Amino acid sequence: MILGLLLAAPFVAYLAWLVWALVAYPIPLGYNLRSLWQRKLSSASTAAAIALVVGIFVVVLSLAQGLSVAFVSSGRPDQALVLRPNARYELNSSIERDRMRILKVHPLLQREGNAPMASAESVVVKLFTMVDGSDTNVTIRGMERMGITLRPQVHLVQGRWFRPSLSEVVVPRKMAGRFPGMELGGRLRMGGRDWAVVGTFEAGGASYESEVWADVNDVMQAFKREAYSVMLGRLEAPERVVGFGQSVEEDRRLQLEVIRETDYFKTLTKAGDPIKILGNLITLILTGAAIFAAMNTMYAAVAGRTKEIGTLRALGFRQREILASFQWESIFLCLTGGLLGSGLALFANGVQTSTTSFQTFSDVSFAFTITPGLMAQGVAFSLVMGLLGGFLPAWRASRIPLTEAMKGG
Amino acid sequence: MDTPSISLGGGEPIIRLRDVAKSYWREELEIPVLQGIDLDIPVGAYIALMGPSGSGKTTLLNLIAGIDRPTGGSLEVCGSELNDLDDDELAGWRNGHVGFIFQNYNLVPVLTAFENVELPLLLTGAGRGERRDRVEQALGLVNLTDKLRSYPRQLSGGQEQRVAIARAIVTEPDLLVADEPTGALDAKNAEEVLGLMERLNSELGKTIVMVTHDPKAAHHARHQIHLEKGVFDRTVEVNR
Repeated sequence: MILGLLLAAPFVAYLAWLVWALVAYPIPLGYNLRSLWQRKLSSASTAAAIALVVGIFVVVLSLAQGLSVAFVSSGRPDQALVLRPNARYELNSSIERDRMRILKVHPLLQREGNAPMASAESVVVKLFTMVDGSDTNVTIRGMERMGITLRPQVHLVQGRWFRPSLSEVVVPRKMAGRFPGMELGGRLRMGGRDWAVVGTFEAGGASYESEVWADVNDVMQAFKREAYSVMLGRLEAPERVVGFGQSVEEDRRLQLEVIRETDYFKTLTKAGDPIKILGNLITLILTGAAIFAAMNTMYAAVAGRTKEIGTLRALGFRQREILASFQWESIFLCLTGGLLGSGLALFANGVQTSTTSFQTFSDVSFAFTITPGLMAQGVAFSLVMGLLGGFLPAWRASRIPLTEAMKGG
Repeated sequence: MDTPSISLGGGEPIIRLRDVAKSYWREELEIPVLQGIDLDIPVGAYIALMGPSGSGKTTLLNLIAGIDRPTGGSLEVCGSELNDLDDDELAGWRNGHVGFIFQNYNLVPVLTAFENVELPLLLTGAGRGERRDRVEQALGLVNLTDKLRSYPRQLSGGQEQRVAIARAIVTEPDLLVADEPTGALDAKNAEEVLGLMERLNSELGKTIVMVTHDPKAAHHARHQIHLEKGVFDRTVEVNR
């Protein structure tokens, strides 16, 4: 953190000086803008390279954003997930039926009528073949009917909800086109039996849109599970989750772990880490190339305008004014690319994709989510490229000996 | 080496050079360009610096204009000892005291005639209205008020040089330096530019130091100073 601040300090100070120079120094900005326009081809090709890099950068960020939306919007702060201690994820967890019976009558759980607002659930993964022929794991969530009530962001789009003991499933609408049989009226083969698809649902981009839902007892029978995986329960208020957790963890009959639902989903956002790392690596390499392109363009600009620089210096412009002027020219060039790239990234907005979660070993589908904040980050990124790519050429422009500059270098 | 000193008399000198020397270095080898130059030029003089290539005339002009620094001696120009000024101060000094006229005009191609002339005024702190008035006045003096919005590529060579002259005088400097101002012009345009410079000297009292190879151009000056191998060769007073 401190090292980061130390590294950033000169950068920020230089940027602040440039902003001040923009106001205080007299070389008109029009001079730089028209000079860029005069070299249309090289300016356009450099701006295009910057646009490409910024576009990729924003799309990579939007991927993380999309995953975050998928997971964070899945949870509620007044709900808690009960797991086996140290299980960390639903898939690793198991809660015996006896413990589940005790758990479901816990006094801190909110009630709907006489029923506790809690759902005993069984989570398994099943390998499915997609329409393109590739295989991927899909999460199968067995739940009680209360499980649907606990997830108000989920709503039925077609058909009806599953009924117990009939081997029925409901599937996310977005999975319909990706897996054969996953459409209303279709049939799925899992756990040694055929399941009828009786409904499709949507969940507003939440991670549930990557899961197949069925009755918990049907799932446990089909997949030969003796124990549930988890229990999801709603408390009266978010602050009750802590007390509920202490109570469950201290109860010798239970000895289970409680995690707030929103916190649990935050840990799942790590699913995007491998893609983010790869994306950042690609962005880093392309950034180096884009900075080099900007540098090359600006060096060519300086070389072609040496006599102009000499004239400006002879007329009384100081070295630092020349430095600021050429640095701003580089920044404008890269900002143009940055704006273009951020705009191009919008085309990815809402596009559905999926990744495999290394926490649940199953498919997580989500949408690229381009927000104004991400676009602003893309533009800021191009500003950094303009600063880095333009600094050396601008420095060179300001340091050419005057007599040499007047002769044209 | 003994070298003749030149004093053109006529009152308080605007340019006073004492024992000025300039050498360039090529690796270990010192190449002297100017040696022991003593020169006094009074306010309102119009000097043509002449001499063969390599004689040091452009180097001398650059030293007088604060473009280059000497390796020895002192230069007092427009009341300032140039050796005492750092690079920033020298830049400010050039802006306030010297107007430049170059052989190839050196206009900024992406700026209009108006904007080119306005450039040195941007450093003076003058307001937008004052700048506009002064630019129009300067361009009026060179008869180019109809070309305010023209870019250099839209002007003839003679017009470009007149814009450059307007740029040189817009800050009302004490001294105009011109390096081969007619070198890139045809005879008609050259005569026009030289006539203009003569007017600036005789009517506005500008001190002009001009480097030229061209005897016809030099004939417009009041004095010709000839340099040979970095030292003064002779001075000629011109009878116009």
